[in-house]
Amino acid sequence: MSEQTAIIHDIGYRHYDGPRLGRGSAARALAVHSLRGVFGLGRTTRAKIIPFLLVAIMLLPAVVSIAVMALVKQQGIGYTAYAVAMQAVLAIFLASQAPYLVAPDLRFRVLPLYLSRPVTVLDYVGAKLVAMTAALFLLLAVPLTLLYAGELLVDLPEPVHTREYIASMVAALIAAALLASVGLALASFTPRRGLGVASVIGFYLFTSGVSGVFFAALLASGHEAAAKWTLLINPFFLVDAVQVALFGTEPSNGEGYPSGPWPALILLAVIALALTGLIARYRKAASS
Amino acid sequence: MNTVVADITYRAMLGRKRILLLVLLPLALIGVAGLLRLIGGPSEGTAVTLMKSFAVGTILPLLGLVAGTGVIAPEIEDGTIMHLLSKPISRPVIAFTKFVVAASLLALFAAVPTFLAAFLMIQTESGIAYGFALGALLAGIAYAAVFLLLGVLTRHAVTIGVIYALVWEGLVGGYVPGARKFSIQQWAQSIADQVSSSVFFKADVPIGFAVPAIVIVTVAALLIAGQRLRSLSLTGDE
Repeated sequence: MSEQTAIIHDIGYRHYDGPRLGRGSAARALAVHSLRGVFGLGRTTRAKIIPFLLVAIMLLPAVVSIAVMALVKQQGIGYTAYAVAMQAVLAIFLASQAPYLVAPDLRFRVLPLYLSRPVTVLDYVGAKLVAMTAALFLLLAVPLTLLYAGELLVDLPEPVHTREYIASMVAALIAAALLASVGLALASFTPRRGLGVASVIGFYLFTSGVSGVFFAALLASGHEAAAKWTLLINPFFLVDAVQVALFGTEPSNGEGYPSGPWPALILLAVIALALTGLIARYRKAASS
Repeated sequence: MNTVVADITYRAMLGRKRILLLVLLPLALIGVAGLLRLIGGPSEGTAVTLMKSFAVGTILPLLGLVAGTGVIAPEIEDGTIMHLLSKPISRPVIAFTKFVVAASLLALFAAVPTFLAAFLMIQTESGIAYGFALGALLAGIAYAAVFLLLGVLTRHAVTIGVIYALVWEGLVGGYVPGARKFSIQQWAQSIADQVSSSVFFKADVPIGFAVPAIVIVTVAALLIAGQRLRSLSLTGDE
């Protein structure tokens, strides 16, 4: 028998006995962390280049427009047309950043680590969704607000477009919610970031291409009413159609949209479908 | 060209979710062509618009992105490219093999559906179907080489490729005529214009510029990609 030499040292491990913040705080922390990550804050410098470049491009028309207002006393780009005019930039931002929010956690299978905390699947999905929606809303709201501030300061001869500004802000929120839910749902189906970017941008290019081609073909063959419906395939025109229905603003495509509650119902249906897919995807990922 | 590497790459491309995008996009193109035919009947103008803005302008760059970056970028992201690079195969040969795989996938999933879609709308009238199929084939080869190079150069290959295709070819090319000279999809249109005799269609870039440009861009991108693979460093991602 050898002599017993092993000793257990007391090296002073302590339990955590501070306050435990619980589910709400955990979800909030996740949302804030995700929102910072979308803009590359807290990540490497290389991760900041693309989001900040896109933010700068989004601000450019607002700055130019303020300069135009100051110099020739004329309104530049309208508030309600801003999202439609900048749709390619918004789509690229969504495509490049949505996979960052969902892909790494799925790829490295760390979802169970989140779920071992008070956070539930719905909290996790909700936090990611809120982060993406907030990021897209900021991307639209900041240039719009800058434009509005510029208009107030420049003092144009015509009255201030407060109504258009409010309408465009509400539409920005709707657009952000629609894009975020569709983008996250598409990106969550693959753990690969590159493929996620390709599928989200593919969705945008495909819908805008289809709506453009059908619109032109139907208009040429004289089916004007049907042509207006095909515009709604493009998510940005769908949001613009809802904006027109809600606030009676000028349609940004110059043609008008189908009237009535249908655009709004389609929009809600698309969001609901995307959210169902997203939640189903995460329920599956959590149970595997 | 190394058949084992090619075989592995084909399996990686066709065995996963990537295949969904590669199949769905061309199917959608053919579906749109069929629907347009049902609505408007055979119309040469519509066919040209569909080919120009949708087949060559949207589907081809997207498939080029998926195939071109897909053959190499995921392996670099995973770090599994190390297993390939540590074998006694010359790095330029690896790059060339991956390029051949991407280009052949583009021929199958982009050029053939382009021909089918055009054929569905107006058969072979004015040579539009042949022209755009040939344009898509050659431009697909150039896209495969360029996006393969991007995949070797950066982790954000798909995003940068999207910005090139959407902002440079789409937005800038739309307003600045000079930018069209340096846009792969315009070169595809030049080739299509050369073959077809349609009056609805006039390419902006002369064929004498487009063909040498495709050759130079493809060869240069492949050479640079091969060189970059020789000194590839796998640094950790964020």
